[in-house]
Amino acid sequence: MPVAASAIYFLNLRGDVLINRTYRDDVGGNMVDAFRTHIMQTKELGNCPVRQIGGCSFVYMRISNVYIVIVVSSNANVACGFKFVVEAVALFKSYFGGAFDEDAIRNNFVLIYELLDEIMDFGYPQNLSPEILKLYITQEGVRSPFSSKPKDKPVPNATLQVTGAVGWRREGLAYKKNEVFLDIVESVNLLMSSKGNVLRCDVTGKVLMKCFLSGMPDLKLGLNDKIGLEKESEMKSRPAKSGKTIELDDVTFHQCVNLTRFNSEKTVSFVPPDGEFELMKYRITEGVNLPFRVLPTIKELGRTRMEVNVKVKSVFGAKMFALGVVVKIPVPKQTAKTNFQVTTGRAKYNPSIDCLVWKIRKFPGQTESTLSAEIELISTMGEKKSWTRPPIQMEFQVPMFTASGLRVRFLKVQRFDFYTLDSTILSKIQCRVFKSLCN
Amino acid sequence: MAPPAASQRYPSPSQPSGKSEVSDLKTQLRQLAGSRAPGVDDSKRDLYKKVISYMTIGIDVSSVFGEMVMCSATSDIVLKKMCYLYVGNYAKGNPDLSLLTINFLQRDCKDEDPMIRGLALRSLCSLRVPNLVEYLVGPLGSGLKDNNSYVRTIAVTGVLKLYHISPSTCIDADFPPTLKSLMLHDSDAQVVANCLSALQEIWSLEASHSEEACREKESLLSKPVIYYFLNRIKDFNEWAQCLILELAVKYVPSDSNDIFDIMNLLEDRLQHANGAVVLATVKVFLQLTLSMTDVHQQVYERIKSPLLTLVSSGSPEQSYAILSHLHLLVVRAPFIFAADYKHFYCQYNEPSYVKKLKLEMLTAVANESNTYEIVTELCEYAANVDIAIARESIRAVGKIALQQYDVNAIVDRLLQFLEMEKDYVTAETLVLVKDLLRKYPQWSHDCISVVGGISSKNIQEPKGKAALIWMLGEYAQDMSDAPYILENLIENWEEEHSAEVRLHLLTAAMKCFFKRAPETQKALGIALAAGVADFHQDVHDRALFYYRVLQYDVHVAERVVSPPKQAVSVFADTQSSEIKDRIFDEFNSLSVIYQKPSYMFTDKEHRGPFEFSDELGNISITPEASSDIVPAQQYEANDKDLLLGIDEKDDNKGLSSNNGSAYSAPSLENSSNITSQLQELAISGPATSATTPQSSFGFDDLLGLGLSTAPAPTPSPPLLKLNPRAALDPGAFQQKWRQLPLSLTQECSVNPQGIAALTVPQSLIRHMQSHSIHCIASGGQSPNFKFFFFAQKESEPSNYLAECIINTSSAKAQIKVKADEQSTSQAFTTVFETALSKFGMP
Repeated sequence: MPVAASAIYFLNLRGDVLINRTYRDDVGGNMVDAFRTHIMQTKELGNCPVRQIGGCSFVYMRISNVYIVIVVSSNANVACGFKFVVEAVALFKSYFGGAFDEDAIRNNFVLIYELLDEIMDFGYPQNLSPEILKLYITQEGVRSPFSSKPKDKPVPNATLQVTGAVGWRREGLAYKKNEVFLDIVESVNLLMSSKGNVLRCDVTGKVLMKCFLSGMPDLKLGLNDKIGLEKESEMKSRPAKSGKTIELDDVTFHQCVNLTRFNSEKTVSFVPPDGEFELMKYRITEGVNLPFRVLPTIKELGRTRMEVNVKVKSVFGAKMFALGVVVKIPVPKQTAKTNFQVTTGRAKYNPSIDCLVWKIRKFPGQTESTLSAEIELISTMGEKKSWTRPPIQMEFQVPMFTASGLRVRFLKVQRFDFYTLDSTILSKIQCRVFKSLCN
Repeated sequence: MAPPAASQRYPSPSQPSGKSEVSDLKTQLRQLAGSRAPGVDDSKRDLYKKVISYMTIGIDVSSVFGEMVMCSATSDIVLKKMCYLYVGNYAKGNPDLSLLTINFLQRDCKDEDPMIRGLALRSLCSLRVPNLVEYLVGPLGSGLKDNNSYVRTIAVTGVLKLYHISPSTCIDADFPPTLKSLMLHDSDAQVVANCLSALQEIWSLEASHSEEACREKESLLSKPVIYYFLNRIKDFNEWAQCLILELAVKYVPSDSNDIFDIMNLLEDRLQHANGAVVLATVKVFLQLTLSMTDVHQQVYERIKSPLLTLVSSGSPEQSYAILSHLHLLVVRAPFIFAADYKHFYCQYNEPSYVKKLKLEMLTAVANESNTYEIVTELCEYAANVDIAIARESIRAVGKIALQQYDVNAIVDRLLQFLEMEKDYVTAETLVLVKDLLRKYPQWSHDCISVVGGISSKNIQEPKGKAALIWMLGEYAQDMSDAPYILENLIENWEEEHSAEVRLHLLTAAMKCFFKRAPETQKALGIALAAGVADFHQDVHDRALFYYRVLQYDVHVAERVVSPPKQAVSVFADTQSSEIKDRIFDEFNSLSVIYQKPSYMFTDKEHRGPFEFSDELGNISITPEASSDIVPAQQYEANDKDLLLGIDEKDDNKGLSSNNGSAYSAPSLENSSNITSQLQELAISGPATSATTPQSSFGFDDLLGLGLSTAPAPTPSPPLLKLNPRAALDPGAFQQKWRQLPLSLTQECSVNPQGIAALTVPQSLIRHMQSHSIHCIASGGQSPNFKFFFFAQKESEPSNYLAECIINTSSAKAQIKVKADEQSTSQAFTTVFETALSKFGMP
């Protein structure tokens, strides 16, 4: 059985029980205590997210300031357990409107109990789709939609959908303005030598969508990936258009995507859920094209002083520009005073994350900008723990540019021709420079 | 309104006030119970919330049970849900009071609103009060026929809940067949999925004592049912897909076309965003193709990239779960992942549990082509601030060095570690250098020159220190100042807290003495004196022993303490391949995370009822079958299910002959053989001892196993010698079992100790294996166990097959033997009985 969870607990960081839902009798009531004494109060907490105490296994995750613990007594499927927690948290977030933390749980605990009842029955996961659950789990306290107007059926087949095939979208949606938004967010892991050569670079990307469409639209997305294009030209029996194609190492899709069609025709077609969702994830290791070069030099001048110099060069076309560039430059914990100059933008020392945060609102292509800082450290007594030199992180958006080169060629809405589609395609890249080798 | 922040841990401040508040609540609820004033629902809600919040933090609010029930006459669905939750929590402890709730729950089960019907039914089944089960049958029956699918899904799970409260009621009401027809005909996917999970659980539990349930359970694995599910797998939600895939793993395909059909059907599941679905699909692919080496290889290639994507996306916990599985695959087939080694590089912000796994994987995939890069990367980690990871990295470098042929560069790297002058780095490195020297003595020259330069004062850790001392003793002739370093160390004998280091000091002083007597004599004298006076038993004994041997004859002493050594070719593997295979069979479960098979960690009572019989395949034993002689044909139907049982077979030779060569380099194979040999040795002395009890007694006594308690009247020593490494694949076994005539049927009694030890079949399987009788399939649970064994003659490939049914309540075993050579079957039976009679003896 995938997960026959015996119980789910929500604990705060002190170990107080926030929510306690037992599904099966095969675990005792002292499970929370076991978790507290054997896991929370020892240093084991960070060691492994799956632990066994007695005959039971604890599968736990920390999300903001809450621990969510699933207790299983059999040889359960762990991947399923973690995924369930992640999905459940996403569900709660959509109910609370964003935040998921101790306060949100305390304020909504009745709702959480209701949801826990629906999303898992006797330890087996049921439907976790927020779209459907919101149809009948509300805190409004009126009787459910079925009975309020039993004859009219205001939400036809709501319970059918609870379980039905298109579980992610409900029928009967209507928008005055039909809109689709599409973002590509890429996270780049980069390892550079001190001379600025890229030693290693890989991209994990996500295509995020926000849909506000009426009815049951059928969408088709075309990307410039190699296989898809080859397939297309093969089907139309004409040579592929010249232009850059990219090779995706691997792709995974949201459950709404018709995988059979992807496999046979290599097109991404889907009936989207309403609102925001993650359409696909992909991975690329070859041919990554970075929009920026970051060249840091860090000099430690004795025990109490440091000099940091960061040069950022934009290497994309001169007509383009990057927006909202944020560079986070880590500094040691014992930083006392910082002094810096920047050529553009604004910089600030943020002690809570031990970083210099440098923000540049607009960064045109083919330019460069530098930050030079002097840092004074508090001299610490005793053995100086060496500084780990965490990676410099950088976030930015370059419209119509992705590090992988992935582009959206088209997004078609089939079946509903009367749509006036206000489609905005936006690309964002989150770039993280993971470490810089200094020889 | 928020629950009070009081905690269970500090009950003193909150508990007393809790009590008075509970009685407050009680009066308030009572006032509201009859009221029909407007707004009364809102105040009820507040009160209910208070009750639930107390319940959550562990304050006992069961005393308001009556009031809660009285207040529950409401149309407010939120109120109802809170009430149901409360009732579900306390009904078990207050069976009498819960009778009160039956009435309103039954009424709600007939409500016009499907939502209310469903909720009421769910709560009714969650009461878990055995004497109320009679009230469940009616509502469940109508719930299963409800025209609303929401109610049906709940009713299906309700049946399972009923089964757990009272199996007989559930069976008597004929629910399982109803579920089966729902499963095959219902239009709603979730209803079908719940039916499947309920039926799997019910039939697995029933299978141990009902032939019919056993058949039904098998029918779930029949071709039409499997294809019914697989063809419409897209209609199910992700969780139900996992369930179906898990079912498909157990399906035995009829031929290779069947296998390819299933793989084609499921191929697109590998692109699913849910990691659990992907993993489940991977498991199906791997298990289906176990017997087809080429395809199996292709499967590895195919699943590689989806798994790597899953690792790099999602929370660290999720990647950990996926990585653990990937780790298992990498260890099984390192060469397939050799080119992807960069994916296993650690990233700065990963938690240490992920890093640790990645280090192990880097070690596993290292081969000639990528060693340089991997070792370079590992050397980076050695400078890591996280000391645990730094240590692991150094160990990883060492492991790679030990498994490679070309260790030149690695040795240099290790020696560079020594120059880093960090305490823990030096200590770890010394241990590795020591192991390397044991395997590659030819490198001693380079290593020794560097090691000699290390000041022993800088090393604090016993393990590192012991390693250094070992090298000083072993290579005393190459290190000019070895005697003096040792002398220094010996002078500080009193300050040396670790017995391990002191033991090594003694030995090293001895070795050094044989090579450079004049320089060491004084130090050795001090060491022996200090050793004899040592409070630690082992140190004392060793010192005394050395002293006496030296007294007796110095040359003898040298031969004893410092004989010429052979290089160690392979270090023993800690996990036998049998265990690894078993973990592989339990892919996509906790076993992989813990890196041990499930029987090692699930506790006994959980193994007992359902998991266990499920794992063991489908051999069932009915109670009547074991009491009289079983008609052979009764099992014929089951015999073909032996194939299902092979996952559990203890002897893994069949498996490794199928595909073992494909996965592991020859050296690995060897090492596992050596380990298993060692294990056998540890269990029972030489494997052949089964046939010659006397000699085995002697050997066991030497090992101090204290066999003197064994019963004297053992049967006369049988003449038959069995091959301890016999191999037979399950297919061949089945064929033979069908073809060969029954040569012997025997009944014998099992001694009480044996019965006591037979809580799980594994214990007997292991015992018999130590007597060169191997198990190919086993099943059943207390009191009836059934085993199929086989054995081979030592000298020639003549097989013996045996079926053994043990009834633990009557302490009788029934043995049926079939043999290639009819003439020796009596001898084999004697061996078998002798082995069986020793089972459970200390």
